[in-house]
Amino acid sequence: MSASSPDFILEAVDIEKSFGATSVLRRADLRIARGEIHALLGGNGAGKSTLIRILCGLLRRDGGTLRVDGQEEASPNAIAVVFQELALLPHMTVAENIYLPHRHRGLERVRAAERREEARAALAQIDETLAREALDTPVAEIDLHQRQLVEIARALSSGARLLLLDEPTANLTFAESERLFSILRRLASRGIATLIVSHRMNEIRAVADVCTILRDGRTVVNRQPLTELSDAAIVEAMGQKGAMRAETAHAAIRATAGTTVSIEGPGLSVTLPPGSVLGLAGAPGGPSRLIDTLIGANTDLHWRIAMDGALRHFAVPAEAVRQGVGYVSGDRAEKGLLVTLPILDNVVAAARIAGRRWFAGRREARVTQDALERLAIKAGSIDDSPLTLSGGTQQKLLLARWLERIPRLLVLEEPTRGVDIGTKREIYAIIRDMAARGAVVVWWSTEFSELTEICDRIVAFDLRGTVSGVIEAGNISEVALARATGMAA
Amino acid sequence: MSRMKTLGLVAAAALALGAATASSGTAEAKKLTVAYIAPSLDISYWQWVAYGAKTKAAELGMDYIEMDSHNSPVDQMTNVRTAITRGVDAIVMGPVSSTSTPPVLRLLKEKNIPIAFTGIGPQPGETDYTSAVTANNYEAGKAEGSFVCALAKERGGSQVGMLSLPQDRENAQKYLKGAKESFAADGCELVQVLQTKGLTVREAVDQANDLLTAHPDVKAIYGMYDEAATGAAKVLQTRGLVGKIGVATADGSPTTVKLLRDGVIQGLFLQEAGGQGIEAVQQVHNALTGAAVTKDLPLAEPLVTSKDIDSAAAQAKLKRVYPPAAGLY
Amino acid sequence: MTDTIAGAHRDADSYHAPRRASLGVRLLRSYRTEIAIAVAIILIELVVSLWSPQALSYGNIANIAQASAPLILMSLGVFLVIATSGIDLSVGSTFSLTGMIAGLALSGGMAWPLACFVALGVGLVVGAINGGLVTFVGLAPFVVTLITFAVGGSLAFVVTDGHSIAILDPDFWRLNGGELVPGLANYVLFCIVAVAALEFALRKLVLGRWIYAIGSNDKAARLLGIPVWAVRFGVYAASGLFASFASLISLSYISNSEATSGANMMLQAIAACVIGGASLFGGTGSAIGAMLGAVMITVIQNGVNLIGINSFWQGSVTGLVILIAVLIDRLTKMRA
Repeated sequence: MSASSPDFILEAVDIEKSFGATSVLRRADLRIARGEIHALLGGNGAGKSTLIRILCGLLRRDGGTLRVDGQEEASPNAIAVVFQELALLPHMTVAENIYLPHRHRGLERVRAAERREEARAALAQIDETLAREALDTPVAEIDLHQRQLVEIARALSSGARLLLLDEPTANLTFAESERLFSILRRLASRGIATLIVSHRMNEIRAVADVCTILRDGRTVVNRQPLTELSDAAIVEAMGQKGAMRAETAHAAIRATAGTTVSIEGPGLSVTLPPGSVLGLAGAPGGPSRLIDTLIGANTDLHWRIAMDGALRHFAVPAEAVRQGVGYVSGDRAEKGLLVTLPILDNVVAAARIAGRRWFAGRREARVTQDALERLAIKAGSIDDSPLTLSGGTQQKLLLARWLERIPRLLVLEEPTRGVDIGTKREIYAIIRDMAARGAVVVWWSTEFSELTEICDRIVAFDLRGTVSGVIEAGNISEVALARATGMAA
Repeated sequence: MSRMKTLGLVAAAALALGAATASSGTAEAKKLTVAYIAPSLDISYWQWVAYGAKTKAAELGMDYIEMDSHNSPVDQMTNVRTAITRGVDAIVMGPVSSTSTPPVLRLLKEKNIPIAFTGIGPQPGETDYTSAVTANNYEAGKAEGSFVCALAKERGGSQVGMLSLPQDRENAQKYLKGAKESFAADGCELVQVLQTKGLTVREAVDQANDLLTAHPDVKAIYGMYDEAATGAAKVLQTRGLVGKIGVATADGSPTTVKLLRDGVIQGLFLQEAGGQGIEAVQQVHNALTGAAVTKDLPLAEPLVTSKDIDSAAAQAKLKRVYPPAAGLY
Repeated sequence: MTDTIAGAHRDADSYHAPRRASLGVRLLRSYRTEIAIAVAIILIELVVSLWSPQALSYGNIANIAQASAPLILMSLGVFLVIATSGIDLSVGSTFSLTGMIAGLALSGGMAWPLACFVALGVGLVVGAINGGLVTFVGLAPFVVTLITFAVGGSLAFVVTDGHSIAILDPDFWRLNGGELVPGLANYVLFCIVAVAALEFALRKLVLGRWIYAIGSNDKAARLLGIPVWAVRFGVYAASGLFASFASLISLSYISNSEATSGANMMLQAIAACVIGGASLFGGTGSAIGAMLGAVMITVIQNGVNLIGINSFWQGSVTGLVILIAVLIDRLTKMRA
């Protein structure tokens, strides 16, 4: 191992981390030079967020060395994370948010005027106007992108020399993103480095100098200048194709009976015969509006849904379910599981609605057992809490909801989020099986590799949330998707 | 500079307001005003005191206003200040507690406003008040103790039980002290004292039930408040023990008067709520007009029994307890 | 043997279908908390009987049943709300207000069955206001029911100007003390029927499962198609109704309506649910648990009086018992 170079603000070498039996990082490397803007790329589950949490001390690493500023014991303030879910105190002023975190001793008197001046100076380095006009405004009253700048100011005033930005532009407009980038460049010229995690290829190329790519917990591309990498090479490096494609060659599914679903909206008109799988790709804004309309969660009148030619408008999810629309989200904790109820209730919940049942009968135990057996779900008992199952198994449990009555339209929202590759493959098989039995599947995923593997047709949404193209079976590739969505996986 | 200006403006406004209040006060000073400040108008006892005070004020040609301290010494003090601001000439007060009275007395002394207490007296040692119209709880406790002991003896026993007010109250302690002395003197055994928290009939029913379960030989029940007797009576009715166990209580209300008439309970030691209001207003009026005042005026708690309830004397006593609107006498 | 989905079987050899225990074992498991409370109640009674042998007499047990009946009925309604992760602070005020209005109606000469309907209407109206503000306006249950608690409590005084009313209609007394089923006092009958019906509904009716599902994860419940609004509205209305019914039973027993009659009951009812295994975050507990919780609170009250401890200690003892109950619950769940 070479001696640490003083040019690097951060050197992480051979970082290892596992959660239980799942190893998430297997000797990952990341080196960031002073004053550079560095992009960290990788598919879902590649280990990016775990690595970041280790870098900023939120997680303990299992192995490897970490040097900040050439030293193993670094000042805790040298690295600062700008959180995705902005971590400011909404009812306190901008100035208070910038200076409060440094007050280590709670009983220390706040020398407000002095502190305020420090906060103003920190913010002025980033945005003079904001520092002049909004210093005493409660954070709740300023815009989202301004709050992000306040967070950066807070990091700088605490002495940070490396900023970690996880998907910083997810909720920003184009102009706002541009402004953020120019600020980052300005900070870089003063020696402050930035590590940026983003899925948006164009942005990465616009702002970053070099990139590191993770795949399956390993560093596959280490500190390469972006100018030397083509889009195709990046997608290739990130893809889990080797692992994923092995077994199942893509074949169109032919279902004999079922419902034809058609979706019409701005820039899109598709008719989906029974058994077809439509992929939705792109930043969350666009696909989630379509999905919310399909499942009746939040109707967007721009979209028109027809089933077997009859126009359907779902005011509430109950109507959608009764019309045979099934829904599974990867956000298990928020949108899926009924955690205090036994597995049985979690499995039969949908059929109870669809079947307009009154009684929770004995037959349900049988149905649940069957469903668990068919999906090979390992559970102690159907009376146990779903929390006794692993994350991937919980995801299969949510799919089991729709086995008793195969839905006419199955809507999936990142159904493999946080699931290991083996379970992912099982989930694909389950979904194919449902399609083969006549379900029309609409599937949003941020992983291009799984969309290209399974879908007959993919609708791409651009960063503004509008439809940017429909990619038909023959033309589906990750590069095509990256181009149409403006995102790298 | 600007701060000084603001302060000046505020001061001027305050002065103007004060002058206006003061002048309106003097303009109406020909008709005297008395304020009655109750500890809690949720409790019917204090409503009845209010009735007595109001009636007497009308009789004496005084204006009358009423305020509720919601059992809070802070609210009580606020009420006193408000009353002063409104320019009252005298105050009649049922204090939240004896200990809450010194600051009130200090303030009123400063303003030279007469005050009479009802029900609950001032903190011992305080002297700057016009009059304290109270019930003689100790004597009443003694009298009721003797009466209840006699009820037990008539029924062939000597055990008695008590449904008490919370013993942190001074009146409850005095009742208990008097009662215990009588029990000792007359040869009765007080086997259990249960203190109420909510002053509800429901609670008293549960307590009376528990009392009779734990001590089946109890032959008479000493009630310290109306709901206690109402609850005890309910239990006796349910258990078919009416007459076999004697009940007496302090206070008096339409409900207990009815129970007395029906013979379910045997004695009522009337706390003259209305009477206290009447006397208190009379005393402050005396003070304002220069007549003689009685500083400490403990009213006796006269006994009314199921036998003499219809006598003219008993009816007259009842009328000094609660207003006609509250129920039958 | 059902066929499994192709490819779903990574390790078919190690797969075993989940086995279901026998009904008896399942009941024992799912009523763990309830059984523990029942045992605790018996233990408390045994301890009390060391001081006061009458504790286990028929008369005392009847007393406990009678004293706990209104609290049981109120707790059942509160439990439904808590199970959906809501809270109802207004039940005590509803209890008082119902008592005053029923008292007015009865003393005004209204036929007692009609007066009962009017009284139940009070609870339904308060419950509907709670439910409406929570579901359709989207206000926090704590705030909404704090408002109805305050307003209801004050209206209870307003309707009769604070006077209490004696109820003299002996027919009305039979609502509580009569025997619709010979040999079984009505207050016991009502409690048994209400607990049994509710427990059946919560376990065996889809509607009941929805109540738990909403308390468990209301977003997921909505996306599943569960009519969250209607169910939520319903539990608040039911809670009001139960509070009013509890008040009628109490009124029929005490035959005296007072404006403060329900003042202490709201906290007791919430405590009963918590003792009975309900989580304030929703999704757990049972009607039987709520009933046992209410009985336990009454048993403590009764025990303290029988032993002759100053009744001011009741609150402390009850608090301690809640703490122990919650700790035991936590421990058994960690083991499981």
